[in-house]
Amino acid sequence: MNITNFISIFISAVFVNNVILSRFLGLCPFIAISKETKPAIAMSFAVSFVIFMSSVISWCIYRFLLIPFNLIYLRTITFILVIAAFVQLVEMIIRKFFPVLYRFFGIYLPLITTNCAVLGVSLLNTDMFFNNGKALTGSFYYSIFQSLCVGLGYTIAMILMSAIRERLELCNIPKPFKNFPIAFVIASIMSMSFLGFNGFKF
Amino acid sequence: MKNKFKEFLKGLIKENPTFVLMLGLCPTLAISTTIKNGLGMGVATTFVLIGSNAMINLIRKIVPDKIRIPCFIVVIASFVTIVELIMKAYVPILDRALGIYIPLIVVNCIVLARAEAFASKETFLNSILDGLGMGCGFTLALLLISTIRETLGMGTFFDYKIKGFEPIFLLSLPSGALLIIGLLLGFFNFLKEKKG
Amino acid sequence: MKFIVSHSPHIQKKETIQKIMWSVSFSLIPAGIAGILFFGYHALLIIFLGTFTAVFTEAFIQILTRQKITIKDGSAFLTGLLLAYNLPPSVPFWIPIVGSFFSIALGKQIFGGLGQNIVNPALLGRVFLLASWPKYMTTFVKPNFNLFNFFKFDAITAPTPLSLLKEAKPIGVTYLDLFLGNRGGCIGEVCIIALLLGALYLLIKKYIYLYIPLTYIGTVGIFTYIFGPSGFFKGDWLFHILSGGLILGAFFMATDYVTSPLTTKGQIIFGIGCGIITSVIRLWGGYPEGVSYAILIMNLSTPLIDRYTKSKIFGK
Repeated sequence: MNITNFISIFISAVFVNNVILSRFLGLCPFIAISKETKPAIAMSFAVSFVIFMSSVISWCIYRFLLIPFNLIYLRTITFILVIAAFVQLVEMIIRKFFPVLYRFFGIYLPLITTNCAVLGVSLLNTDMFFNNGKALTGSFYYSIFQSLCVGLGYTIAMILMSAIRERLELCNIPKPFKNFPIAFVIASIMSMSFLGFNGFKF
Repeated sequence: MKNKFKEFLKGLIKENPTFVLMLGLCPTLAISTTIKNGLGMGVATTFVLIGSNAMINLIRKIVPDKIRIPCFIVVIASFVTIVELIMKAYVPILDRALGIYIPLIVVNCIVLARAEAFASKETFLNSILDGLGMGCGFTLALLLISTIRETLGMGTFFDYKIKGFEPIFLLSLPSGALLIIGLLLGFFNFLKEKKG
Repeated sequence: MKFIVSHSPHIQKKETIQKIMWSVSFSLIPAGIAGILFFGYHALLIIFLGTFTAVFTEAFIQILTRQKITIKDGSAFLTGLLLAYNLPPSVPFWIPIVGSFFSIALGKQIFGGLGQNIVNPALLGRVFLLASWPKYMTTFVKPNFNLFNFFKFDAITAPTPLSLLKEAKPIGVTYLDLFLGNRGGCIGEVCIIALLLGALYLLIKKYIYLYIPLTYIGTVGIFTYIFGPSGFFKGDWLFHILSGGLILGAFFMATDYVTSPLTTKGQIIFGIGCGIITSVIRLWGGYPEGVSYAILIMNLSTPLIDRYTKSKIFGK
């Protein structure tokens, strides 16, 4: 475990392999909710939070439950169930105790269960930081750090996109390209610009 | 009989999951770098769609309404696990190429959307036909995108090298996938406008 | 003394878009002549193909979509010119054609034409070409300055000073060489003195302001000075400022009205952001040069910067 690994995880997760722009996880809400800045920010905070928590939980389950009992093949089912249950729980807690927060991003929570980014990061963590059913040294820290960075990358892409699309409201875009097609073209341009960080060596 | 055929056919063009319903775009973009990958993903998803549609249709009356979504997800996840294990055993190269996008079929919105919108309401046979149609529509869209990306982006067609053409490498990168789907959606909108 | 403090868009004067665009193109002429003198007729051919395709594509799309044809405003010409200036002199002839087409069609017209694009179309075209055909876009030729060898085009490949730096090889170019343009590089970026001449013209005419170029170049200088290869505060900042496309980018592309922030504060943030990204890519990234990526990323951030630096409406 050293600092260089953390830096390369950071650059990779935020820019080079950005969840949305390069791995295409969580693309549907990215395109659907990025029309205005406010909901976009709320959504990305909600997603980042869920990504972080669910990767902590799924790491623990994988390490302490699935591996010892030789149940690795149940990974997909377990993870999706845990995530669904967790999201449900968060929604209930927030609705009960933090009504303001619930109004801010609670409505997006049910959508997040089927957000590929959440399950995707949990799966990626187990793919990257486990080797033949054994956790690498520092695997837990790498996993949570990666999940944080993925959330950051998601938030950056989402905020940039929503600000751009707010500006596009004033533009005279050809009719067939309005809305979704132009959003994909912009995402493509963003992805192209982030190519500059390729091959990063520290 | 004609009616049944319609259930199958609607998924291909009129309600194409990718271009019309805009569901399940993540795998569509991520693995469409080569035609082989696209075909593999399409077949895997079709299998899951048919299986989960059939299963959910059978259990729809037993499952209480309030917890139906979690139940559906478990059914879908089971079929995905079956696909995962089969692919690991018989086509390991394809499995490695598709990576985490195979387990991610679970959260492919098409599968859950069809379960919720169709299989939990219609008859058994219709559900299977719907799953087959949607799966074929999805595969068709994948084939379209992956053909464009492989021929123009890598200069190969089913791994055969096309001579005298300098491939536009960008198209096989992620940003190329986003660009192509944006342009295709715009093109289809244009066609629709012209027709209607 | 009377100071008039104002920020873009500078419409209060009797300047039309048309006049500004052609003036910017005019100010780029010295750099183009220098490029042609260094790299021979092939450079001229690339400049011609780039501008011609850009103008043609604009007209073609406007005819196709039944809009008013606006090629006379010079913006398509400028895009094609900037794209050609950003190409290595040895690229095959179809590269500027494809690049200009991409720039105009997908960088500008798809957003609705002049003033609506979110990123600089010329840079988008260059990044597209660089990602698609890296082989051609990273092969540079040795400059061969001679007034009489215009028709002689000998393609002795020579890496740019920045790529030599990246591979930790001896650079062998003096500051004077860098300043005059006697080095491998893109057509329009090599001759710093010609670029500065053009920039001076634009500054005197008040078509561009110093906020973005100064903060951009300054940040690159400070950043590369601090993070030197042999320790902190030992970097060769002058080399970094003079090499690559920094001067061309900072004065002629980062200052584009449409894709840079409106307020002074926003422009300073924009310049610093460009500088940091450029230096980070140059020092640790996979590419030797980061100017185009830096400006593109900051172009994409411009709506966000504008949103948070806009002066508030009184009483709101």
